[in-house]
Amino acid sequence: MTEEVFYWQALNRALDAELAADDAVFVLGEDVGLYGGSYRVTEGLYAKYGEWRVRDTPISEGSFTGLGVGAALAGMRPVVEIMTINFSLLALDAIVNMAAKVPFMSGGQFPMPLVVRMPGGVAKQLAAQHSQRLEQMYMNVPGLRLAVPSTPQDAWWQLRQAIRSDEPIVLLEHELLYFSKGPLDVTAGAPPMHRAAVRRKGADLTLVAWSRMVDLSLRAAGRLAEQGIEVEVIDLRSLRPIDWDTCAESVQRTHNLLVVEEDSGFAGAGAEVVATLGERCFFDLDAPPRRLAAEELPIPYNRNLEAACIPTVSGIVQTVKEMLEGGENP
Amino acid sequence: MSRKPITMPALSDTMESGRLVSWLKQPGDPVKKGEAIAEVESDKAVLELEAFEDGVLAGPLAEPGSELPVGAVIGYLEDEKPESIPAGDPAVTKGEPAAEKKAKAPSPAAPPTGQTPSPAEPAASLREPALPPRLHDKTRKPGSGRPRISPYARALAAELGLDPATIAPGADGTIRSPQVVAALLHAPEPDLDAGPAWRLEPLTPMQKAVAGGMSATLHTPSFRVSARLPLAPLKAATHDRGFSLSLSLARACALAVSEHPRLNAAYTRQGLAMREQVDLGIAVDLPEGLVTPVVRDVARRTMEELQEEWKRLKQAALERRLQQKDYTGATFFLSNLGTFSVVQRFDAIVPLGAAAILAVGAEHDGAVEMTLTCDHRVVYGADAARFLQTLSEHLENPETILT
Repeated sequence: MTEEVFYWQALNRALDAELAADDAVFVLGEDVGLYGGSYRVTEGLYAKYGEWRVRDTPISEGSFTGLGVGAALAGMRPVVEIMTINFSLLALDAIVNMAAKVPFMSGGQFPMPLVVRMPGGVAKQLAAQHSQRLEQMYMNVPGLRLAVPSTPQDAWWQLRQAIRSDEPIVLLEHELLYFSKGPLDVTAGAPPMHRAAVRRKGADLTLVAWSRMVDLSLRAAGRLAEQGIEVEVIDLRSLRPIDWDTCAESVQRTHNLLVVEEDSGFAGAGAEVVATLGERCFFDLDAPPRRLAAEELPIPYNRNLEAACIPTVSGIVQTVKEMLEGGENP
Repeated sequence: MSRKPITMPALSDTMESGRLVSWLKQPGDPVKKGEAIAEVESDKAVLELEAFEDGVLAGPLAEPGSELPVGAVIGYLEDEKPESIPAGDPAVTKGEPAAEKKAKAPSPAAPPTGQTPSPAEPAASLREPALPPRLHDKTRKPGSGRPRISPYARALAAELGLDPATIAPGADGTIRSPQVVAALLHAPEPDLDAGPAWRLEPLTPMQKAVAGGMSATLHTPSFRVSARLPLAPLKAATHDRGFSLSLSLARACALAVSEHPRLNAAYTRQGLAMREQVDLGIAVDLPEGLVTPVVRDVARRTMEELQEEWKRLKQAALERRLQQKDYTGATFFLSNLGTFSVVQRFDAIVPLGAAAILAVGAEHDGAVEMTLTCDHRVVYGADAARFLQTLSEHLENPETILT
């Protein structure tokens, strides 16, 4: 049965379902308890499951994420919420040095059923220190998985899959997606967590995006379709690992590849996509693969400058047309 | 002053001739030993031709684009002419020829030459002449060298058996898959510049129609079966009754076709289109070219009716008054070169929409060689043989034809 829900509601229901299903699951983070979460994701759970299973923590990302690692080692299934990815820099030691390494360094003796949820992305005038994307940082850590749901349905599926997985998983949400609405069918079967989704079929160009950029890409594809250009939009859903087969199959049909990313392009996720698909699909490419990415800048506070720093629908439209019409490449 | 010929080099073991792609220097340009003076395309790659000693490039130079045997003279190197070296800063004199060329052949990439440099950007205008002249040559001659080709376009061209050198690039000078597809759909053009001088004679609409119709048959897999058939009985009977021999032959064909309906079919992707009557196209030689008027329902109408229609069509063809309905929609074709006594036999091309065409040679000793060309998707060898067998029986008994 399908209903329209907010992205945060889908996450909330996923937590509720898993807390109910398994006593080992618990939630911890800043303001997740009494306050119900900065973006309402834990709303109502404190009342339902109590302060032991929905735990408020001090403002100390390093310690409570480390607590999560320890709890996972001890057989619990912790779900750590970090208020934004910007603050997760303080928890990197727990995530990168401990969570990602312990299963390997213990020869598999210690699984790491840890989920760390956090939103990233450019929101509305939160300024440079609260507008980072940083996805490439977590992508670059062997031993971690990084899921990037872009719809309520994926948020529901992927959070539940993450909680049930014995691997350490970062679930990267987006501040502007929490209050976006979409269909949710809690009875539908889930694809594998890392499987990319073709959100729109098209024969002329493969557009790869994830998280909030999927929505912009779909809007751009709609405009391009009015001009006779059919863009295939792929939502990666997972940045580590990446579902290369779905991407390569598409590029082999369209012969053109564009990656749209909200983060800066330099050494970013798009660079990885373009490099790997360039290797796999070299003889299928009809134009140099391109990335449409954010400016190489800390995001400015000024609203107009902020908007000018990241890809827009019209920017995507223009880039696709340049690529297909054989314009000069920058 | 000595003058030494520059020859087409052998750039590989197998190279017998090479194409001069472009000159990187102009006559009068000083060149240093080892400096690239031209680009030459071998059977394998485009390579630079280097000067074998210091000197000045001199003409006559071979035309860029021309294919020349290894060892052919393509230009000359002369001793440096003293008067060609003016006093002063050598960097300035180096820049001058490049600046001239720029004025002659500006490209969209070049900055506008007539514009006064803005005072804020003096560096750009000063830097420009200091660039080596060779770089100027490359950027200002969009036609020189090979166009870029995308990996997919290259792979596609290889798969289709197209030589990338024959593919016209897109507006930005790059060959992408649409250009490969366009090249595939359009037959390659001959390289006329390699031959003697020529002038262009535009195609008449009739020539265009024939060219288009024939090119459209390129995808028809065809085969031919020849037979020697008796003509003397039909000829005698036709002559007695004042019928046209071509029309009588057409009638004989139509009768045989109606006994072998496959010969009256047309191939479509969905299946064979089986037609209810035999409409016969007969090739007519005209001063302006070729036209095939179509006589309708040739198997069932009387010879008198057919003779009347054929007369009208022939007259209209000669007067060029044929309407489209008069020369389209044939289900079987006949081409008769029997009026040329030297013609032993020939074969014809099956036009689109028919399964076969019968080509008739000249009569020798009461018999004539006929070749049936067939669309093998519709008709098989034994079908063709059976048809010719039936046709032979009709020709031996002209009464069956002329009633």
